[in-house]
Amino acid sequence: MVARGLGKTYRVADKQPGLGGTLRHFLRRRHRDVPAVTDVSFTIQPGEIVGFLGPNGAGKTTTLKMLTGLIHPTAGSATVAGYTPHRRQRGFLTAITLVMGQKQQLIWDLPPLDSLRVNAAVYGLDDSEAKRRIDELAEMLELGEELTRPVRKLSLGQRMKAELMAALLHRPAVLFLDEPSLGLDVNAQARVRQFLVDYNRRTGATVLLTSHYMADITALCPRVLLIHGGRLFYDGRLARLSERLAPWRQVRLELAQPLPAETFHPYGELESLDGAAVRLLIPRQQLTEAVARLLNELPVLDLEVSDPPIEELIGRLFRKGVVA
Amino acid sequence: MASDWRRYARTLRRFWGTALAGQLEYQLNLLIELLAMVGNLAGSLFVLSLFYGNSSGGAGTGLGGWSWPEAMVVLGVYTLLDGVSSTLLRPNLSRIVTHVQEGTLDFVLLKPIDSQFWLSARTVSPAGLPEIAVGLALMLGAGLKAGTRLDATTLALVAVLLLSSTLILYALWFLLATTSIWFVKTWNATEVLRAALAAGRYPITAYPAGLRTLFTLVLPVAFLTTVPAEAVLGRVSGPWALASLGVAAGFLLLSRAFWRFALRFYTSASS
Amino acid sequence: MNRRWPRALAPELARGLRIARVLLVTQYAYMLEYRAEIALWALSGVLPFIMLGVWSAALTGGGGAAGLGLGLSQAELARYFLGAFIARQFTVVWVVWAFEEDSVAGRLSPYLLQPLQPLWRYVAAHLAEQATRLPFVVVIAALFFLQQPAAFALPSPARLLLALPAIWMAFAIHFLLQSLIAILCFWSERAQALERLLFIPYLFLSGLVAPLAAFPPGVRQVAFLTPFPYMIGFPAQLLAGLEVPIASSFAAMAGWIALLLPLTALAWRAGVRRYTAMGG
Repeated sequence: MVARGLGKTYRVADKQPGLGGTLRHFLRRRHRDVPAVTDVSFTIQPGEIVGFLGPNGAGKTTTLKMLTGLIHPTAGSATVAGYTPHRRQRGFLTAITLVMGQKQQLIWDLPPLDSLRVNAAVYGLDDSEAKRRIDELAEMLELGEELTRPVRKLSLGQRMKAELMAALLHRPAVLFLDEPSLGLDVNAQARVRQFLVDYNRRTGATVLLTSHYMADITALCPRVLLIHGGRLFYDGRLARLSERLAPWRQVRLELAQPLPAETFHPYGELESLDGAAVRLLIPRQQLTEAVARLLNELPVLDLEVSDPPIEELIGRLFRKGVVA
Repeated sequence: MASDWRRYARTLRRFWGTALAGQLEYQLNLLIELLAMVGNLAGSLFVLSLFYGNSSGGAGTGLGGWSWPEAMVVLGVYTLLDGVSSTLLRPNLSRIVTHVQEGTLDFVLLKPIDSQFWLSARTVSPAGLPEIAVGLALMLGAGLKAGTRLDATTLALVAVLLLSSTLILYALWFLLATTSIWFVKTWNATEVLRAALAAGRYPITAYPAGLRTLFTLVLPVAFLTTVPAEAVLGRVSGPWALASLGVAAGFLLLSRAFWRFALRFYTSASS
Repeated sequence: MNRRWPRALAPELARGLRIARVLLVTQYAYMLEYRAEIALWALSGVLPFIMLGVWSAALTGGGGAAGLGLGLSQAELARYFLGAFIARQFTVVWVVWAFEEDSVAGRLSPYLLQPLQPLWRYVAAHLAEQATRLPFVVVIAALFFLQQPAAFALPSPARLLLALPAIWMAFAIHFLLQSLIAILCFWSERAQALERLLFIPYLFLSGLVAPLAAFPPGVRQVAFLTPFPYMIGFPAQLLAGLEVPIASSFAAMAGWIALLLPLTALAWRAGVRRYTAMGG
């Protein structure tokens, strides 16, 4: 999967509210160009599992839709499984799948099995092949009699598993998952996660996944793409993301006696001061020197250097919407 | 190519199989549909009878020169078409709006199958089948009473023209439903269309000249019921029959082109 | 919930008026947001105009007025169907759908907790929607007279004064009838389908598709035993300035309201009891 300078700009109509505004808009359209995604490039090898991170409105869904061919890019190009997505050729459509945690394709009033049969026909699978695949997926997902119960009577977790079955029946080589574990309880999340790992191992499928749950990302994705403000901000190993997000480290001190807050200003940024327990943030480049000075100049009983936890960093990013 | 046809046929079987399975849960609905059909038909026949002189005992030419049994043929065609729309058109086309609103159109577009086919044939409702049967019976029975000879040629022509009016109705409805890509609430527009199509209960000559033009050229009500009814009565003229086919083909192509155009809009503008 | 008619009427009345004003104002603002849809709704009431086409062609062409038993001139016929169109516009009721949607979406429980009979909310919504329709109806009526100048005549002030309460009472009857069906939603989730059945006698007996004068005497007598002819036909005749038994018609409408109002209240109470017993 390759994205080269992928970009999408929406034309947003500037319309004043009210009937007058509508009429004026009808007569003399005025538009504003709002870039949703700008110059996104990456390459994903077959079989990779990649996490796609970013705060709401960062352009995740737009990128996903461009990669699945649901919207045309306004700049750049994409190649997925050897096809150009927005041409939506049959070969492309049978090679990919899209799972959306907040939307469902199963027929509400009928058992999942009926929806699965419809999909089997649509993708041109014959009955015996369809049955084999259904059995295989059902076993992997631990679904049994749930498949013959109307969808509306299934729990959220069971429903999501059945959605996964419907999305994977045609054995796509590329999986796009948009918040697949949204709203699931912790156990169900873990099971969906385990399934995705198994599926990836068994079929060698490529997986691109967005999720709000850091646990999904840390458990599944050795590599992450971080998008922010429509631009690709980071592409690489999850572990190294913290260096980009947080160019400083956390130093915890245990002192012999409490000291006033000003004492610490020469060393770094004071994060917390609780009697004799102190936490400082110190830029990475100055760490060695600062630690040496701390040990020399202050009555330090204990000193500990650590990375701020990645969840916290990304959580901060999502909450504030700004990159540190 | 051949395998593709087979795939579409199999898909259609699955579509309708699942649809029927889903609806058998609602026997009560079926009963209500039946009652509604009987009531509607009785009411329509009653109103029609008002034009045929309750005092003068069946004056020959109540409506635009159509005799009582002839006018009943038109009502039969109307009932038949109404049955077809309850069976096939309404269940499918009214769902397009929901697909757009809830974003599940994405799933349809990602399937390796024609999206117009999926949206138009996804489901079927047996509730309209009795109406189709009754409409057919009324159309043919009244035709016989009017003295037509139902030979093979007539029946073939009737079948072709009924197909053509069904396609016109489908295409009109699909065109309206397509606009839901831009305007989310097109349901009301569909209601306007349905209300206007009620004009098809009566032969087109029953209307004053202005409305007649409107119902022929702008809203092809004439082709929906009057032309097939003329065929049943064995008096449809060649040009009208050809025009019906032409209108059907035109609207069908238009609906297809418009859907493609709307999709281009959807795929380049949706978020 | 269980309010009886209060002893101290004055403060209660003031409270009622305040609630009514607030409800109407907010609902009107809400409906204005949907005016495009409401315009289309207004347009979907074209049936009387279609029927006018058929009737007027039949009048000039075939049997003639005597044969049809109408006793109406072309102009009177046109005014009657315009009146039917207007009466229909201001008596359209959709409480079944709104109620069903609210109960499915779980909005009903909070309404039940408020010290206000929830049906009033729907009444206010209907009145606000009618106010939104008003300009569209005026435009359609103006276009109609432009197209049929021969039929132009405004109802006399006296007739207009009578037509207004007639339309409101027709709306009340329609609203109560449909509320009864809506209340059945407490028992069956598909009660809405019954509305289709109620609509059939309404369609054919109300005077929407044919003036009741055209009916054979036997059918007409039966029709007048139902509330339907008063829901369209009577207000339409008032608006069109046609001859119509005024006092007895108003009496019949009052009778229907007097019958339906306690019936609806009883059904509502039973429905809420069932709703609370089922635990929502």
